[in-house]
Amino acid sequence: MRTGTHSRRTMLKATAGAAALGLAGARPAARRAAAQETTLTVWDNWTRDVDSAMIDKLNAAFTEQTGIKLNRTSKSFDDLKATAKLALSSDDGPDVVQINQGLSDMGAMVKAGILSDLTPLSKQFGWDKVLPPSMAARNSFSADGKVFGEGNLWGMPITAEFVGVYYSKQKMADLGLKPATTFDEFEQSLAAAKAKGEIPIQWGDLDGWPAIHTYGTIQHLYVDKAYLDDFIYGRNNVSFVIPENVKAGEKSQEWVKADYFTPDFAGIGYDDSWTAFKGGQGLYMITGSWISAELKNAADPGFGFMLMPPLAADKPNLHVAGTGMAYAIRKSSAQQDAAAQYINFLVSKPSADELATTGIIPLAVDPALAPEGSLYGDIVAAWQSIMKNDTAGHYLDWATPTFYDTIVAGLTDLFGLNITPEQFVQQMQDDYGKFLATQQGA
Amino acid sequence: MATASDEFGRAIPGAFVDGTTAAELRRRRLADWLGNGVVYAILVVSLLIAVGPFVAIALAGFKTDVELAQNPFGLPAQWSLDSFGNAWHQAHFSQYFKSSVIVALPVVLGSTVLSVLTGYAFGRMRFPGSRALFFLFLLGIMIPGEAVIIPLYHNLQRVGLLDTYWAIILPQIAFSISFGTFWMRGFFSQVPGDLVDAATVDGANSWQTLWGVLLPLARPAILSMAVLFFIWSWNDFLLPLVVVSREELRTLPLGLAFFQGRYASNLPLMAAGATLVALPTIVIYVLLQRHFIRGIASGAVK
Amino acid sequence: MASRAAEAGGRGSTVSRRPGERARTAYLYLLPGFLIYVVFVLLPVAQTVGYSFTEWDGFSAAKWTGLKNYRDLLDDKLFLGAVGHNLVLIVFYTVFPIALALLLTSLLTRRSIKGMNLFRAGLFVPQVMSMVVVGVVWRWIYNPVSGPLNQVLRGAGLDAWARPWLGDPKLALPAVGAIGTWVSFGFALVLFIAGVQRIDEDLYDAAKLDGANGIQQFLAITLPALRNEVTVVLVTLMISALRTFDLIYVTTRGGPANRTMVVAFLLYKNAFTINRAGYAAAIAVVLTIVILIVSYVVITVRMRTSEEA
Repeated sequence: MRTGTHSRRTMLKATAGAAALGLAGARPAARRAAAQETTLTVWDNWTRDVDSAMIDKLNAAFTEQTGIKLNRTSKSFDDLKATAKLALSSDDGPDVVQINQGLSDMGAMVKAGILSDLTPLSKQFGWDKVLPPSMAARNSFSADGKVFGEGNLWGMPITAEFVGVYYSKQKMADLGLKPATTFDEFEQSLAAAKAKGEIPIQWGDLDGWPAIHTYGTIQHLYVDKAYLDDFIYGRNNVSFVIPENVKAGEKSQEWVKADYFTPDFAGIGYDDSWTAFKGGQGLYMITGSWISAELKNAADPGFGFMLMPPLAADKPNLHVAGTGMAYAIRKSSAQQDAAAQYINFLVSKPSADELATTGIIPLAVDPALAPEGSLYGDIVAAWQSIMKNDTAGHYLDWATPTFYDTIVAGLTDLFGLNITPEQFVQQMQDDYGKFLATQQGA
Repeated sequence: MATASDEFGRAIPGAFVDGTTAAELRRRRLADWLGNGVVYAILVVSLLIAVGPFVAIALAGFKTDVELAQNPFGLPAQWSLDSFGNAWHQAHFSQYFKSSVIVALPVVLGSTVLSVLTGYAFGRMRFPGSRALFFLFLLGIMIPGEAVIIPLYHNLQRVGLLDTYWAIILPQIAFSISFGTFWMRGFFSQVPGDLVDAATVDGANSWQTLWGVLLPLARPAILSMAVLFFIWSWNDFLLPLVVVSREELRTLPLGLAFFQGRYASNLPLMAAGATLVALPTIVIYVLLQRHFIRGIASGAVK
Repeated sequence: MASRAAEAGGRGSTVSRRPGERARTAYLYLLPGFLIYVVFVLLPVAQTVGYSFTEWDGFSAAKWTGLKNYRDLLDDKLFLGAVGHNLVLIVFYTVFPIALALLLTSLLTRRSIKGMNLFRAGLFVPQVMSMVVVGVVWRWIYNPVSGPLNQVLRGAGLDAWARPWLGDPKLALPAVGAIGTWVSFGFALVLFIAGVQRIDEDLYDAAKLDGANGIQQFLAITLPALRNEVTVVLVTLMISALRTFDLIYVTTRGGPANRTMVVAFLLYKNAFTINRAGYAAAIAVVLTIVILIVSYVVITVRMRTSEEA
C-alpha cells in the first residue's frame, strides 16, 4: 500500500517536474496535438513486468502533459534486433524505437539513412549534460554509417549498464573478508573461499555471452582506454594480438584451473546461475548492473556490489560499461517533434528519478535516491566512480558485425581450456583484421 | 497402408503339422515363452524411453522447485496446479494458445479444400500441361521452408502483412497444398472409374461428381491429410519466428521458446508451459492415432 | 484398397464431353491452389536464388556480386563446420535409429505381440511432438545441476560420468544428436513393422524347411522385403537431419563455441541478425539443392512402390 502511495507521489512530482522544464519543442507540438490528435508508435525493450509497468506510468504522465498519445509495444532484445531495421525503413513503421548500438544495428541503419540525426536535439535539449562524451561516442556514427564512435548522435540512451562484482554479505562475514581494494586481495579472497569449500565465483556460461563480461572484466585490468577505444571504433589499425589480451586469457584459464568458478559452468544457463547465487551459492558473481533488481530483495543481509579492484590501489582500472539501448527516431516519421519530445521526457530528471526508484540506473542518477549500504547504493556509487574517473571500457562484441559470434566461440574454448590464450587472441584478430580490411576497402 | 493398424504379427505356425513329438513341442513352447519375455522387456523399455521424458515433464509441472530437484521422476507429493495457472495466465500461454488455434484452423481448412480441388483436377481430368504443373506442385514437397523464408519476410513486409496472422497462415497453406495435391491425386486416381462413369452418365457435372461420389469415399484419406496439416501448422517454428514479433500473435511453440529464454530457471513453470504446448497434439493423437501414423508415415518427405 | 482400385481401371476413365471444356474446368479447379502456391512458394524460391547473387543487408539497395557468396561459402570455416555438424547429425538421425529399429523388428517378426497397438502408439509419440517441446524437455534432462540424467548418474555412484552435456564442447553435438536418435527411432520402427506385415508367411516356412535360422531368415527375407521402407525412412530422416533448426534454437543456439552450429541456424543468423541476407540466400540455395537431390531419391522410390501396389 505504502509503495503505491509513494509511486503515485513520485508520479505527480514527475509530471510537475517535466512541465516545469518547459520543453522548448513541446509547446507547438502540444498545441498541434490539441487540434489534431497525435499518436506516437514506440517500440521498446522494457519487457520485465516491473520495468514495463514503470514505463507505462511514465507514458501516461507524458500523454497527460502533452496530449500526445502513445502506442507502445515492448519487445525482447532478440526481437528488436531482428525487426527494428525493417520496421524503421518502412513508411508506416514505429516512430520511436529502442535500438542496439554497434555496427550491425545502429551502424547499418545510419548507412541505410533511416534514422533521424539527433545531434541538433541533443544541443537543443541539453542531452550532452546527461550523456558524457565517452557515452555519446557509443551512440555516434559518421553520417555514412561507416565510422563508429564519432560524428553525429543517432540514438539517445536513458540508462547506464556496467559489469562489476556482486558479493554475498553473509559469506563475506563468514569468511572474515572485506571487499577487496586491489586485484591481489581479490584473488586472495578467491583462494580463501575455495579453501573453505565455497564456490568463489558463481558463473554459468551456457548462453555464451556471460564469458564476454568475465573475460572483459579481467582484460580491462590490463589494457588502457586509448587502446580499447581504438579497438572498438576501428581506429589506428590496432590488433587484438597484444600481451595484455594474452595475459587476460592466461588469468582466465588460471581461475578455471584453480576451480574458482562454479563446477560445470559451461553447462549452466545465465538465469540458473544468478538464481543459484541468489539462493546462496557462491561468494561472488561477476555480472552486469541489470541483475541488481533481481538481487535487491534477497533476504538479509543480502548482497553488495563493487567494481573489480585495480592492480594497484592508485591506478584505477577500466570496467566493462556502456549505456542501455538507445532511443532512435525513424527518419520518415511525420512526427519528429513529438518523437523528440518523448525522448526528452524520458531523459528528464523526473523520469530519471522514477527509473531510480524502480531500481534501474538512469544516466544522470540522483544519489539521494540511492541509500548508502543498500545494493542500489553500491551500484550507483560504482557508476559515479566510473564517470568521475572516466574508466568506462567497452563490450568487446561491438568491435565488428560478426565479433559477437567470434568472441563467444573463442571464449568458450578459452574457458574450456581447449585453446591457448595465444590461439584465442589470434582467432579474434582473424575476424578483426578481416573487418578492418573490408572497412578500408569500402 | 490401410492394414498397418491391424495388430502386428501372426500366430506361430502350427507345430503339429510337421509331426513333432510332445516333448519337443513343450521345449519349443518354453523357448517361445522366453523369447516373448525378452521381446516384451525390450518393448517396455523402448516405450519408457520414448514416453518417459514427456510424462516426467508433465509431472514436473505439478511439483514445486524443491520437490522437482529431489524427486524428478516420481509422482508429486501434492498435485499443485499453480505452475499451470501461472503459465496460462501470467506467462501468456492462453494468448499463445489462441494464436495457435487462430492459425491452425484456417490452415487446415484452407489447405484441405484447396488440395481436394487440385488433387481432383490432377487425379481425374486430362488437360494440357498436367504433367508439368503436377511436377511444379511436387517440387513444393521437397522445398524446405528455409528456401523461401528470406524473400517471404520482405514480401510480406512490402504488402503490410508482416506481423499479422496472415503472414503465418498463407505460407503454411501454400506449403501444405503441395503435399495435399500429391496425396489427393493419389487417392482420386485410384477410385474405380465405373463409379464415376455412372455418375457422369446420369448427367452429373464434375462438381457434382466430386461432391456426391468422390468426397464420401475420400473421407478417411482427407482426415489423414488434415491431421497432418494440423500437426505441421501447430508445430511450425521457423515461419512464425520470422514473420511475427508481436507477443499477442505468437503461437505456442514460439511462446515456449521465448518463454524458455526468460524463465529457464523456473523449471516447474517451464514444465507446465511445455505440457500445455504438447497437450492438444497428444489429445488429437490419442483420438486419431491411426490417421496420425498413416499421415505422418506418408507425409514424411516434408 | 490400392490394388482394388488399380484392378478396377484406375484414373482417367471419366468420359469427357469436349476436351476444351474439360481442360478449362480442370484449370478452374487448379487456380486457387496454384495461385497461393506460386505466390508463397515458387516466387520466393526464385527470389532466393536471385538474392544469392547479391550482397544485400536486407533493407538497403542490393549489389550484384555474381558468384561471390558461393565462393565465400567455400572459404567460411563456420559454414564448413556447420556442414560437418549436419553430417554428424545424419548419423545420429538415421544410422542409429534405423539400426536399432531393424534389430527390434527382427525380434518382432512372426511373433504375436499382445498390445502391439499400444506400443506402436507410444513409440510414435516423440514424432508428433513439437521440436520446441522436445528441446525444452531434453534441456531439462541434460541440465548439469538439477537435470535427471546427472542425478541418476550421481545416484548410481558414477559422479565422474555426470557432465555439463550441452555445455561441453566435445559432448554437445552427440548430446543433441542423441535427441535426434530418440525422436527418429519410433518413426523407423513403426514403418518397418508395417512393412513386415506385408511379407508372405510362406516365405518363412519355406526358409525354415530349408533349415535357415532366425538371423538367416532376417537377412534373406525380412531385410530385402523392407528395402522400400528403409529407403523412405533413411531419406526422410536425412532430410530432417539436414534441416535441424528448432532443436538447436531451443537447446544450444549453435554453442558451445559453435560446436553445434548447423546450416539452417547459420542461415537464420545471417539473414535475420547480422544483415547478410544475400549470403544467407546462398546458404539457402545450397541447402535446398542438397535436399532436392536427397528427396528426389525418396519420391522415385515412392512412385515405384505405388506403381507396384
